[in-house]
Amino acid sequence: MTSLVLAAAPVVPDFGGGSSCVRNNDFFCWQWFKDNWSDTFAPRLVEHIWLTLIALGIGFAISFAAALFAHRHGWFEFPFATLSSFLYTIPSLALFQVLVGITGLTLTTALIPLVTYTLLILFRNTLVGLQEVPEEVTEAARGMGLTRRQILWRVEMPLALPAILAGLQIAAVTVVSLATVAAFVYDHGLGSPIFDAINRGSFNTELIGAGGLAILLGIASYALFAGVQWVTTPWTRARRT
Amino acid sequence: MTSRTWHKGMLALLTVALAIALAACGSDDKSSSSSTAQAPSGQPGKGKPPVTLGAKNFTEEFILGQLYKQALEAKGFKVNLKNNIGSSEIIDKALTTGKIDTYPEYTAVIDTELAHNNKRATSAQETYDRAKKFEEGRGFTLLGKSPGQDADVNVVKPAYAKKHGLKTTADLKKVGKFKFGAPAENKTRFQGIVGMRKVYGLTNAQFVPLAIGLRYQALDSGKVDVIAGFTTEGQLLDKSKYVSLTDPKNIFGFQNITPVVNKKKLAKWGPGFTQTVNAVTATLTNEALQKMNQAVDVDKQKPADVASKFLQANGLK
Amino acid sequence: MVTATIFSFYSDHASELVDKSIWTLKLFAAAFGLSVLIAVPIGVWLGHIHKGRFLAINLSNIGRALPSLAVIAIGIAIFGLGFLNVTVALIVIAVPVILTNAYVAVDGVDRELIEAARGMGMSGLQTLFRVELPLALPLLFAGMRTAALYVMATTPLAAVVGAPGGLGDIIANQASYRFEGVVAASLLIALLAFAVDGLFALLQRYATPRSLRGRQKYEVKGTALEAG
Repeated sequence: MTSLVLAAAPVVPDFGGGSSCVRNNDFFCWQWFKDNWSDTFAPRLVEHIWLTLIALGIGFAISFAAALFAHRHGWFEFPFATLSSFLYTIPSLALFQVLVGITGLTLTTALIPLVTYTLLILFRNTLVGLQEVPEEVTEAARGMGLTRRQILWRVEMPLALPAILAGLQIAAVTVVSLATVAAFVYDHGLGSPIFDAINRGSFNTELIGAGGLAILLGIASYALFAGVQWVTTPWTRARRT
Repeated sequence: MTSRTWHKGMLALLTVALAIALAACGSDDKSSSSSTAQAPSGQPGKGKPPVTLGAKNFTEEFILGQLYKQALEAKGFKVNLKNNIGSSEIIDKALTTGKIDTYPEYTAVIDTELAHNNKRATSAQETYDRAKKFEEGRGFTLLGKSPGQDADVNVVKPAYAKKHGLKTTADLKKVGKFKFGAPAENKTRFQGIVGMRKVYGLTNAQFVPLAIGLRYQALDSGKVDVIAGFTTEGQLLDKSKYVSLTDPKNIFGFQNITPVVNKKKLAKWGPGFTQTVNAVTATLTNEALQKMNQAVDVDKQKPADVASKFLQANGLK
Repeated sequence: MVTATIFSFYSDHASELVDKSIWTLKLFAAAFGLSVLIAVPIGVWLGHIHKGRFLAINLSNIGRALPSLAVIAIGIAIFGLGFLNVTVALIVIAVPVILTNAYVAVDGVDRELIEAARGMGMSGLQTLFRVELPLALPLLFAGMRTAALYVMATTPLAAVVGAPGGLGDIIANQASYRFEGVVAASLLIALLAFAVDGLFALLQRYATPRSLRGRQKYEVKGTALEAG
């Protein structure tokens, strides 16, 4: 098989050129942002939110179970805290890349670090929240005849809620931040257009668009949890740090 | 007519016939026995096993991936595009380990960098034939090759070229030390700094590895003096910004585009696959490639959109 | 067997690893050093005069909510690619934490002690340097520890945003350096992160007067002591 030819020369359509804003790589080309909102920015934003929610969910499930266990069996606190602290110290890009060698370029590779980075704060906050419940309160509850389980769920948990929510708040913004880096190994979320833009002549509009959205998402997550805390724990509103 | 006249006439006729026959067969390299490529009719891809198509890590490959994907899908094939896999060395591994079934490659890269043929080919056809032979020895094959080529080219800024009087790669020897920016794999490639040092004697070159998407910025900002560009890149259309140096000793080779395909899978997909793919490859002239690259790199359009427009304009979608 | 290849990576690429480690440390020093220079004076001063509470407390919260890659991305649009951009981004992320901790640390010093010092005739500045700061050091170092860890752990990102030269080059480039290289460089940066964390943990410990060790209970939820 040798050089192929068509019956006639190929038609090269007019691709429409780019606006001068884009060609000059001006700071932010609003038109380009609008044009690419529905097929680039919006889907990536949604992906990012999903990724965050899944990682938070799994991280919370693990940390919560671990904290409950450590509350009952004190010896467990040290090993789990040490492990999650160790995992927290590993630089994220390194953890992502090492996992690629094991689990490939998949969702798993992206999720594992996102989950492990939440463990330390969620575990510690939940446990401290439970431990801070005053002795007198649990004594009183026991005196009233509540079982251990009832005490946990009806007394200790509500009192630990502020600390738990505070932990979730920090974990949420941590995950939003790390999920942008995860795009390096898993093409999802707002990190993808950022890396894309860097490789396309550091295309400012895409950088500002995606970066800006990620920052807004981070702040929104933080505010969301602040709002949840405010609503669900009115008795702490009077508390001062 | 005497028998002698008859014999003379026959001889003359034979000679002429022979001359015509030779002229028809032994034509020049540019269009040696070219084959017309036409897309198949109907939906030959329906019911065939899915195609896992890979693409390397730069704009032109992103576009090629989209072109082949959309063209095949238009003919009923189911296509799984794995984009941005990496350089030839990496994507070749993905191919040989079965992670992908096919990907678009450049003939000289196969010949020089994958097959490690030390003696360079002297024509596009020879490059293709050697590349094909190599791939077929491994269970793969090459489909048709494109009319256009996309080879490496050394790119400098106009001011730099003027200052040192640079027209060809050989002229770089006149410069003192210079920084050569290229993707990491060029460090060990003959079509990279190895060939530049060996053939052009450019021992004054300092290799600076650059991410493939950041070469032009590095050149713009002065981080490097010369970069490894690709001849069909959109940026090079602006001659007031970038100057391409010629390659008289042809270290960068003949780089026609050709899809590498897994032979076993190809047998399952049937001739419809080859026809569809070849019809696309046949449209890849230098002009077409460069205009599409420009639309993506300079005008920031999406590879999928650009590919779609192009295929529609050529009746392939 | 894998460990053998990791070890051989260290010996084969020793000088490259050293160069890249030094570059990483330079980036860390620049970003962290400047962050401290900016954040500590401001935070300490605000805490001393007990003003700007709302800003100081919430600054670190906002700062933490900023995704590092996004800040870098915007930085590229402003500063272009390179060392400067990454340094600035790291400063933007590190300053809030250090500032908030500095504020809370100085602001939270027991008022009675300050009054006592004033009663003894000390001026405002003398009180600051002889009473408030020494007492504020543990929490101050706690904040610096958090920030230092965060900065060090974020330095590998420089490699994927157009600022090559550090260990991130190896970590991000599995194609050239293989799995062993990625692991080797990752271990190295993790080591640096641990070293930095340990250093500040030590500073924090030595800054805490013996009598107060083990008894400190700062209730600043989630902002200051989450790296405790």
